[in-house]
Amino acid sequence: MGSFSLIIDGQTVEVEEGATVLQAARRAGISIPTICDHKDLNPYGACRMCVVEIEGVRGYPTSCTTPAAAGMRVTTQSERLSTLRNRTLELMFSGHPNSCLVCVHREACEQHRPTATKAARSTRCGFCANREECDLRAMALSAGQPELSLPTMYAAYNLERDDPFMDRDYNLCVLCGRCWRICEKIHGKPAISIINRGKWARIGTAFNKSHVFSGCTFCGACIDICPTGTLTDRFARWQGKPEAETGSACILCPQGCAVVAQSKNQRLLAYTMPAFNRDASLCALGRFGAAQMVNSNQRTTRPQVREGEDLIPYDWDAALKAAATGLKEHAGKIAFVISATSSREERYLYAQLATALKGQMHLVPAHALPGDPTLTTIQEAIHGQGALALLMNGPLLGGVEQSRMAFSLVIDALHSDSSEQASVVLPAAMLSENSGTFRSSTGEIRQLSACSQAPGDARAEWRILRDLGQTLGLDGFSYTKVEDITRAMDNAVGEDAAPPAMTGDPRHNVRELITTYRGHQVADIVPALAAFGLPQRSMIQEESTAGSDNGFPILEKKEIVPNMHFFKIQAPQVAKFALPGQFVILMARETSERSPFTLVDWDADTGTISLVIEEVGRSSRELASLRAGDMLAHVSGPLGQAMPVEKRGTVLLGGGCYGVGAIYPLARALKQAGNRVICGIEASSSYLLYMQDELTQVSDQLILATKDGSEGVRGGVQEILVQTAEREQVDQFIAIGCTFMMRMTTELSRGLNIPTLVALNPIMVDGTGMCGACRVSIGGDTLFACIDGPLFDGHAVDWDELASRRSAYAPQEIQALSQGVDLSALMHQAHGPTDTHQCGCGR
Amino acid sequence: MSTTEPGPETTAAAPKKGRIKIPRQPMPEQDPRRRRYNFEEVPRGYSEETAKLEAARCLQCKKPGCVAGCPVNIQIPAFIDQIAKGNFVEALLKLKEQTALPAVCGRVCPQETQCEERCILAKKGESVAIGRLERFAADYARKHSGVPEPARAPATGKRVAIVGTGPAGITVAGELARWGHEVEMFEALHLAGGVLMYGIPQFRLPKEIVQFEVNSLKRLGVKIHTDYVIGKSETVDQLMELGFNAVFIATGAGLPMFLGIPNENAIGVFSANEFLTRANLMRAIDFPRFATSPIRPRRAVTVGGGNVAMDSARTALRLGAESTIVYRRSKAEMPARAEEVHHAEEEGVIFHLLTNPVRIVTDAANRVRGVECLRMELGEPDSSGRRRPVPVEGSEFVVEADTVIIAIGNRPNPLVPQSSPEIETSKRGTIIADPASMMTSKPGVFAGGDIVSGAATVISAMGQGKIAARAMHHYLMGTDPEA
Repeated sequence: MGSFSLIIDGQTVEVEEGATVLQAARRAGISIPTICDHKDLNPYGACRMCVVEIEGVRGYPTSCTTPAAAGMRVTTQSERLSTLRNRTLELMFSGHPNSCLVCVHREACEQHRPTATKAARSTRCGFCANREECDLRAMALSAGQPELSLPTMYAAYNLERDDPFMDRDYNLCVLCGRCWRICEKIHGKPAISIINRGKWARIGTAFNKSHVFSGCTFCGACIDICPTGTLTDRFARWQGKPEAETGSACILCPQGCAVVAQSKNQRLLAYTMPAFNRDASLCALGRFGAAQMVNSNQRTTRPQVREGEDLIPYDWDAALKAAATGLKEHAGKIAFVISATSSREERYLYAQLATALKGQMHLVPAHALPGDPTLTTIQEAIHGQGALALLMNGPLLGGVEQSRMAFSLVIDALHSDSSEQASVVLPAAMLSENSGTFRSSTGEIRQLSACSQAPGDARAEWRILRDLGQTLGLDGFSYTKVEDITRAMDNAVGEDAAPPAMTGDPRHNVRELITTYRGHQVADIVPALAAFGLPQRSMIQEESTAGSDNGFPILEKKEIVPNMHFFKIQAPQVAKFALPGQFVILMARETSERSPFTLVDWDADTGTISLVIEEVGRSSRELASLRAGDMLAHVSGPLGQAMPVEKRGTVLLGGGCYGVGAIYPLARALKQAGNRVICGIEASSSYLLYMQDELTQVSDQLILATKDGSEGVRGGVQEILVQTAEREQVDQFIAIGCTFMMRMTTELSRGLNIPTLVALNPIMVDGTGMCGACRVSIGGDTLFACIDGPLFDGHAVDWDELASRRSAYAPQEIQALSQGVDLSALMHQAHGPTDTHQCGCGR
Repeated sequence: MSTTEPGPETTAAAPKKGRIKIPRQPMPEQDPRRRRYNFEEVPRGYSEETAKLEAARCLQCKKPGCVAGCPVNIQIPAFIDQIAKGNFVEALLKLKEQTALPAVCGRVCPQETQCEERCILAKKGESVAIGRLERFAADYARKHSGVPEPARAPATGKRVAIVGTGPAGITVAGELARWGHEVEMFEALHLAGGVLMYGIPQFRLPKEIVQFEVNSLKRLGVKIHTDYVIGKSETVDQLMELGFNAVFIATGAGLPMFLGIPNENAIGVFSANEFLTRANLMRAIDFPRFATSPIRPRRAVTVGGGNVAMDSARTALRLGAESTIVYRRSKAEMPARAEEVHHAEEEGVIFHLLTNPVRIVTDAANRVRGVECLRMELGEPDSSGRRRPVPVEGSEFVVEADTVIIAIGNRPNPLVPQSSPEIETSKRGTIIADPASMMTSKPGVFAGGDIVSGAATVISAMGQGKIAARAMHHYLMGTDPEA
């Protein structure tokens, strides 16, 4: 292939034939902004960010699709191009929530909230899991505060979470097409493509089927290639940017696929594909299941030795001694039953132990299920040998077999009935916690590199076996690192055998996923896998402790604006006694948290209460998933002190987020008491404003503010407060909303000398004064928000303390979110596609 | 006293003559090396044989000291006699004549300072293991269904409201229901049981047992309203207006005290109530199946020396922590039961005695990093009769910690007293009640348990409940308690 040269921005660039102008520019170190372009994809020319000027060519061609030609003179930077690119960016942002980018309070807000809020749908960067990694945001902010003058056309698509592993928020999609293009490239027949036309064009599956039924193989490539927060891995979604990417292999099955392990804080976030091509693709279990297995709460974390009926936790030395004693006692009568998904080093050491102890080695194929002929053969062999002791690295044999043994040693990473029955249990590291090598069923040797830490006292299996060998006083177990064993194997006579190949092709068909890992049913560890029809231990039904007479029917439920859910609930007891400013505690189910929510309205006659609940975490998600006609397990209240209703003169009520609803009963009461009531409400953008009609009815004036200026005052309650105080005397200011807004407005009202009440929202448990979780510092005194508040003098609040205390459980909340999806809806989907656009936003 | 070794093997009941030679039967317990990692109950309970053998030790005194030592006057020799004869269900019915919560009392009562202390056998050797036998009878009945509830007297047509479903409330409910009154209970939380549900850990009192006892109240016809916050909804007055002929207030000591030292609101400082409520009532130990976030301490410091401090320190241990207790007096002054201290020590809780926390050490993110403490020495006795701890100058040191649990007691919960100002309260916020009848300053309104006595024990709350129930019965029936 010949090469030629062209001139880009005055620079002569030499390129190979077939290169595009974009590639040529990059070779010369000239950067051209792109969105839809990706090195592993063919040029597409969708986003039009990469436009350039070429002498003698009419218009502004996209450099990604224009082949470079000899002698071409290309300009990549000009005023005209900047204008064009800005226009393109603006157009793109008209379909992508952008209020944070243009908000005047962005920097202060992001300082106050260093991590994004775990919202359901992302309606702004501050609600987006991808904030740290978003290509779009980076591009918009690269030149300082962007000017985005086009209004956001929020499509209001449902957040799609009807499959076991992905959250898809197409409201963020800019139609760059990377996802369906990579899907097509890898799988030939893509599971997704652009559906609908014009304004309603979006990415979707054929007939809107769930990805479980769409032919999707869950390789995760679309997630990894998406430049926005549209496609996310539910488990990793809120964990933030990975800290490390380590090349390794997944040994959940004998295929031993190469992976890139993403990790953070010594914790595995995901196995991802090492390259975007068909050969590198992963199966659903490897891509999404591995991290959940490694981080499972079913891990074995300490050595245990049987004493009578009980397994007693031992330290490693004592446990190894007990294991060695048991094995020595039965030397010559030991069956080694080892999984084919063990590393080469592990298998080598097991074999050495077996030789030294005159034991019989049995390799259990990865796919062998109870009743499999291979297993039957192994069982017969064990009987034939007259084995009295058993060493297994997983629950690989039936419990009957194990119970016949005088001694059984289980070396495993996960808890099982076998470990429960064992004489000695030694906790092992697994998958991403291990280094070494693996021979795949096709004979290739893969490198394994550890990137995460084993929990508790668990250790690498090779280390356990080495120590066991040493405790037994055997020769040849003096390795100091795993590489020593690899080397010993290389020097050994003959090659180690490849493990038996598995049946099926899980990388290309989710119906052929392997169902067990070292004898454990994978769907017991990653329950969501049941959606693919994987067998699962039946869940033991909780004995219901509460009577069925405790239920609070939901009469009305709708999502009034994205993430904001209106509930009308039958709770006569609360309705009868509620006062403005009070709250209730809800539990959706018996297993839920107790979560406090401010009362928005109530009617003693009908016995109903109304709430506005923002979906920003596990508990609110659980509530948001309920529908009219469903029952809430518990509604407790009214709780908290009521607002003192008196005539103050002019009262300004500022509401943001859930506070827009929460100020409603206060405004109504204050208006009835003869005050001049001004309500000021804020939202990121006009489409997120709600309850305007209701608030108009209970106030003398309603002032709107949006962060992007799409409606009302540009800014937030801060601006409303300052502007109102300039216009007229404000005798009382009340703020309800996020901590940031309340804090900022309180600082302003202090300067303006306006008495200020704020409704504090610390973490609560019981809500009756019993636990003190909700303690806040007010003017140097510690008070309980549940019984002394929630309304306090804003000027006396210790805001730093409140903000820090509210974030106390951030890691647990993230963990809970990834595991809290109810997939029952999914099962209904098998019978037909769901309707889309039922968000209830009313727009 | 307790041991993990099984008791001597016996099958037949011992002959009367030889019973003096039978040693006190040890309680089989879960090995401390194992139980420090799990939430299963520590004592495993007597077998039928062991129970009969232990029961045979009882001398069946004509004037039993044990009964006088029991705050609820259980007919101890009588129920033990039934166990000795193998009539386990009859034993339970005997117990139920006096207590609504035998399975609970058998586990959490401080028998060593009550019934067992007065046992005649204790004078020369070891007392009859009354608590263990009580527990055995209750557990036997629970495990063998079809146990009849005690008979109910004919309906009196009188209605009683009980505010709070803890031990005092349950006791009153059980008594009054049996005597034919119509009883309704009001609970602010989502499950009935009060401190038995939120406070006492699973490994001391399994929650299934509490719910079983609560359900047996329901079988007696008691109506239980959960999620019902008296004081925020109806006041006590309004309950009377609703047609209740008498009210019993048993809202407990649910308002945690803090030390008042710097940085006490840092992330990682919890009241024992919060720490235990998350683990017990909200079942955070089963997170993420249960949604409440657990506290996962690495190094936990519990401040206090009472039973709640032991419960907290042992719970912290089970959640994976290196667990330390910091107490400003010496071991002799600890208000906790000896058995609880012993269990905590066995499991590996570290005790820093004569140590007083003066400051929480925090990092820039307001998270706990440690507790600064002062060494103390014992001075002259104080008003409680215990020697007063005096700080040793310049003895400051820091105990490293990421979790601090404050277990120094509770004040009475203010929700009901605040909403009923006409009911007289003390300076400490407790409701003042006549000790002979537990009647408050408001006729027809009675109170008992920790809302009256401040923070005390389950059995003393039940004792007050017994007194109150009797007085309420007479009040309702218009009869003379002296007659």
